[in-house]
Amino acid sequence: MEDIIATMAGQLGPALVVLGAALAVGFSGSGSAWGIGIANEAAAGILTEDPNKFIYALILLALPGTQGIYGFLTALLAINKIGLLSTAVPITIWQGLGIFGACLPIAIVGFYSAIWQGKSSAASIIMISKRPDQMGKAVILPAMCETYAVLGLLMSIFLLNGIKVG
Amino acid sequence: MSRSEDYGYAVARIRAMEPMLLDSGAIQRLLEADDTAGALKVLGETCYAKSLAEKGAQERYDAALEAELLSTVMELRAFVPDKGLVDLFRIQYDFHNVKVLLKSSILAKRGGKKRWELMTGLGTVPTDSLVVSVESEDYNLLPYGLSSLIPAALALWEQTRDIVEVEKLLDSGLFAAMLKEAEGFDEPGVLKWVKARIDSENFRNLLRLKRFGVGAQKAASFLHAGGTVSVDALVQLLPEPFESWGRALSHFDVGGVISGVQDDGDFDRQIVALEKALDDYCRDVVSLARYSQNAPENVLAYLWGKEMEIKNIRTVLVSKGASAGRDETRRMLRNGY
Repeated sequence: MEDIIATMAGQLGPALVVLGAALAVGFSGSGSAWGIGIANEAAAGILTEDPNKFIYALILLALPGTQGIYGFLTALLAINKIGLLSTAVPITIWQGLGIFGACLPIAIVGFYSAIWQGKSSAASIIMISKRPDQMGKAVILPAMCETYAVLGLLMSIFLLNGIKVG
Repeated sequence: MSRSEDYGYAVARIRAMEPMLLDSGAIQRLLEADDTAGALKVLGETCYAKSLAEKGAQERYDAALEAELLSTVMELRAFVPDKGLVDLFRIQYDFHNVKVLLKSSILAKRGGKKRWELMTGLGTVPTDSLVVSVESEDYNLLPYGLSSLIPAALALWEQTRDIVEVEKLLDSGLFAAMLKEAEGFDEPGVLKWVKARIDSENFRNLLRLKRFGVGAQKAASFLHAGGTVSVDALVQLLPEPFESWGRALSHFDVGGVISGVQDDGDFDRQIVALEKALDDYCRDVVSLARYSQNAPENVLAYLWGKEMEIKNIRTVLVSKGASAGRDETRRMLRNGY
């Protein structure tokens, strides 16, 4: 019985890391898809009337896509830390829980910031439909949401680096 | 009903359509034209070129303007999630068509000519179907309460032989139908716009009634319930001088509109100024939605803007035909979208 409990404890650590990595990719990716979808509606609206604005629209609707990349990067760092991509490194439950927690900032912030950035991008796409000369400002406005996604990513990386394994 | 989140595409497309509306420079060029032909030439260089070319003769510019509005209405209806929102704007034309039909049938009974050419295709009910319904006295399939309103209007005519009474009944039916439809959208901005339309009609009527010295009891029958200002409150304004109306209504949005209209003793100028201010008020009610990327009110704002643009063009063209002064014409023009 003690052997079974010890084996389970040994596997729970890596399982928590995998769960954390899945959440980081899943939530930030879903948020990005949602945000791009919102911006896409606006882009389709203006492109129906003026297809020449495709490049402007593409730049703006791509902005909410970065959160998905941040989540993917965090997940890679997390699974690489325990050697899932090469030689497995044994970790405790507490180390696994720590890595799981380190994945949460980008999972949560990535999800919400991508949706709001999508709304912000949609507003900017509408703006350039009338004022294409204001493209610079149109990019800066949704980029403000990006700040918090970057902060979430940085915190996840700092936390991952702070956890010593192996 | 669609949620406001569904309006992302529609609002973006409306924004992209906005540059096609005439700006103040284009209206200025129309005003500066020497005559109607010159103004039509200027108009031919804008988005109205297609409609003007299709309708042919210059004398038919009215048909071209109607075709342009119809084209805008149908274009919006094709991509707006709630078709009913566009139809809300079109109900007024259904009632206009019914008025034309009823008056025509009354005229025909007296040996006059039917004036079906005055009907417009802007209504939700095809004109042919409406004609068939009225001619065959089969009103069952007509929407917006017309199935009961038309027989009631005909009965009222038989009783009173007063066309004004019939018009009052139909106008009340129109605003009741608009209010009912607007309430169905569960969008405060849409309801506010309909209430603003009712307020506008009421104040227009009230000023005219005041000029003709109509008593409070009779005046009430010309006013419509459902606006932001109640019929009782409006009737109480009747004995008061026009200058005090704005003060008495200071706690209503429309109070500011009334205050802005000068009373210089010239009624014709005053009623023109009031009508312009009320049309601008209806625009302002939904103009805040233009800051939103998914507010359904944007549909009404654009349609209203287009209608006002066409009203402005018609005003300029008619004034050119009547050789009216530019300043006088400019005073009548509504503010742009």
